[in-house]
Amino acid sequence: MSQNRSPLVAGVFSLLVPGLGQIYIGQRYRGVAILLGTLVAAGMVFWYGDPLWYFVPALIGLWNVWDAVSLARAGQTRPIWIPVLAALLAAYTIGWQVVGIDFSAADADRAMQILRPMLRPDFVQERREVNSMWVPVQVPCGPQPPQARREDGGKSALVMPDCAGVNETMILNVNGMWPDTDTNVVWRTPIGDPKMIGENEAEMLVVRSDASGVVTTAIHVPSTALVAAPDPTLPQEHRVYVYQYRPKGGIELSYIGSEVLNGALITIGMALIATMLAVFLAIPISFLAAHNLMGGNPVTYAIYVVMRTILNVLRSIESLIIAIIFVVIVGLGPFAGVLALAMHSIAALAKLYSEVIEGIDPGPIEAIRATGANWLQTVRYAVIPQIIPPFTAFTIYRWDINVRSATIVGFVGGGGLGFLLIELIRVNNMQGVSAVFITIAIIVTAMDYISAKIRERLV
Amino acid sequence: MLRIQHVSKTYPNGTQALKDVSFDVADGEFMVVIGLSGSGKSTLLRCINRLIDPSEGKIYWNDTDVTSANAAELRNIRRNIGMVFQQFNLVKRSSVLTNVLSGRLGYANPWLSLLGIWPQEEKDRALKALARVGIAEKAFSRADALSGGQQQRVGIARALMQEPKIILADEPVASLDPVLSHSILQYLEVLNKEGITVICSLHFLDLVHRYATRVVALKDGMKVFEGSAKEIDRAKFKEIYGEEAQEVRAASF
Ligand SMILES: Nc1ncnc2c1ncn2[C@@H]1O[C@H](COP(=O)(O)OP(=O)(O)OP(=O)(O)O)[C@@H](O)[C@H]1O
Ligand SMILES: [Mg+2]
Repeated sequence: MSQNRSPLVAGVFSLLVPGLGQIYIGQRYRGVAILLGTLVAAGMVFWYGDPLWYFVPALIGLWNVWDAVSLARAGQTRPIWIPVLAALLAAYTIGWQVVGIDFSAADADRAMQILRPMLRPDFVQERREVNSMWVPVQVPCGPQPPQARREDGGKSALVMPDCAGVNETMILNVNGMWPDTDTNVVWRTPIGDPKMIGENEAEMLVVRSDASGVVTTAIHVPSTALVAAPDPTLPQEHRVYVYQYRPKGGIELSYIGSEVLNGALITIGMALIATMLAVFLAIPISFLAAHNLMGGNPVTYAIYVVMRTILNVLRSIESLIIAIIFVVIVGLGPFAGVLALAMHSIAALAKLYSEVIEGIDPGPIEAIRATGANWLQTVRYAVIPQIIPPFTAFTIYRWDINVRSATIVGFVGGGGLGFLLIELIRVNNMQGVSAVFITIAIIVTAMDYISAKIRERLV
Repeated sequence: MLRIQHVSKTYPNGTQALKDVSFDVADGEFMVVIGLSGSGKSTLLRCINRLIDPSEGKIYWNDTDVTSANAAELRNIRRNIGMVFQQFNLVKRSSVLTNVLSGRLGYANPWLSLLGIWPQEEKDRALKALARVGIAEKAFSRADALSGGQQQRVGIARALMQEPKIILADEPVASLDPVLSHSILQYLEVLNKEGITVICSLHFLDLVHRYATRVVALKDGMKVFEGSAKEIDRAKFKEIYGEEAQEVRAASF
């Protein structure tokens, strides 16, 4: 077909507009593809602006002239992999630089600081018993300060003097504690705020009791003791607490551990409720979005198209983004997460369900109708057996997905494990973070396994 | 006695599948409907139990007007007419027993049947029907675990549950090999000998010769022949199947 075309004209055409020569020869699709490919490659390179890469469109242009000429002369194309390879090379290198990949940013020391505590996930702790005592102290001094002295259950504590101002030093003496035991000393303001009074007020003050159970130490009134007081000149009762701990055998859930368990339950529950909510809405919607049911007349077909469009749009919005919107509407917490997950699941499930409905075999329906069955019997014996197993399989699969999403949705305030995780990261509690990671891994793996097993049975 | 009078069918898309077809089927006949693919055989059989509503014409069964029956009457008529399909049309995920029991839906207590509860008597009947077609031991398998021939026997057992007066069989052996074809048609033949009227569409002429007591041939929705199988000579054959057609025979065993 190309014998009577001039190679010169084809070459010039392709030189002027890439692909034009090929079109002139009659290879319309090849020509258009070359034109579009060249435009994209050129656009990319010029946008990036580094003259180093200008050779790519130039190379493609030259190749294209060569291709056009040889097509016109011998009816033979030239290998397309040359321009494709050049374009890919440019795209990859430019992409690398645009993303800013920089391995030196990964600092090994920083990484170890984070990873080391993660080897000791905070789930459980030794069971301990507590021995505590407190004594009142007036801050600042009033005209007649009460005695800073208290007795309770064989223990006695006193502070000298009876009152002091901020940053002043006092002596604490407690009798009747456990002997030879590390003792934490904590200041509590009148509203119960704990203040650390160790070094720089940034550490816990720890004192060891002597062999007869006496704790003696200098303490100083924390500089922030009065920040929350309505009137800093008004004398008020503060308290000095001492705590001793000792193991009493066995282990118990740590505070973080119980928070993680609680978060896990919330996350699984969120996923479950969101999935159930979605199922109830997705079933009726799926019938409206099934082509074989709605295709019959223009009105129902219009409903079908509208439904499909809504579902596609909804499905394309990540549940994380929907969650942010719901957090704004209903506030932080699992409810926002549930709504976001449900929203996305409705769209996903309705689409899957409607595909099941579209795939129903009409044969059995016909056969059951032919036996003299009524409408309900036909649905019960010919339709439901066909759709229930795939519906259930898809629903379980969705629940599985929702458990994963529920952790992510928690990040933006949706509650559950994700919320706990982001809080723990914020306070740099890497042992807690590690506990959450492990829990997520266990839940997701278990869900994965269970849902796969059940689906295997159903299909 | 089934009387089909001037039946025509035009599908919503304008296809005229049946054009003024009339014939009678006496009780106890083994009536075979032949014709090229697309000639309207399936449409005709489905008009008889009104899975498809004819556009024109009347169908009488004894003295009942099938074409003007209301929903309740129609269910009553349908439960006397068993149907067997080329693709078997079993509910694949259900058990064989459930598939057979579903043939009894026209008689069953509607509410119990919706709950899937069947009296023991009906289960016994289903097992007996399965035993008649020789696959009693498959009662609790899933329907799609059976071979094609076995599935078609389940289809026949399902029809038997209706204690039918008529069996409509739409190309019951078209997806089976020749040996199985004979075994399935022999079941139908036995039922026919017991007094059930059989109306069956078939593709292979030698099967027609072997089983039919009478033949109706359709071409482009029109009846072009009615009579005994022996009367289909070369000329008739060409008329029904067109000039270029070769007589295809299922291998005879
Ligand atoms: N639901 C339908 N809507 C529109 N046209 C149909 C429909 N069903 C069948 N037809 C058409 O009606 C005509 C008769 O079809 P029918 O299925 O009755 O033929 P058949 O003889 O059973 O063919 P086959 O041997 O292939 O089963 C064909 O032209 C077919 O395309
Ligand atoms: Mg057919």
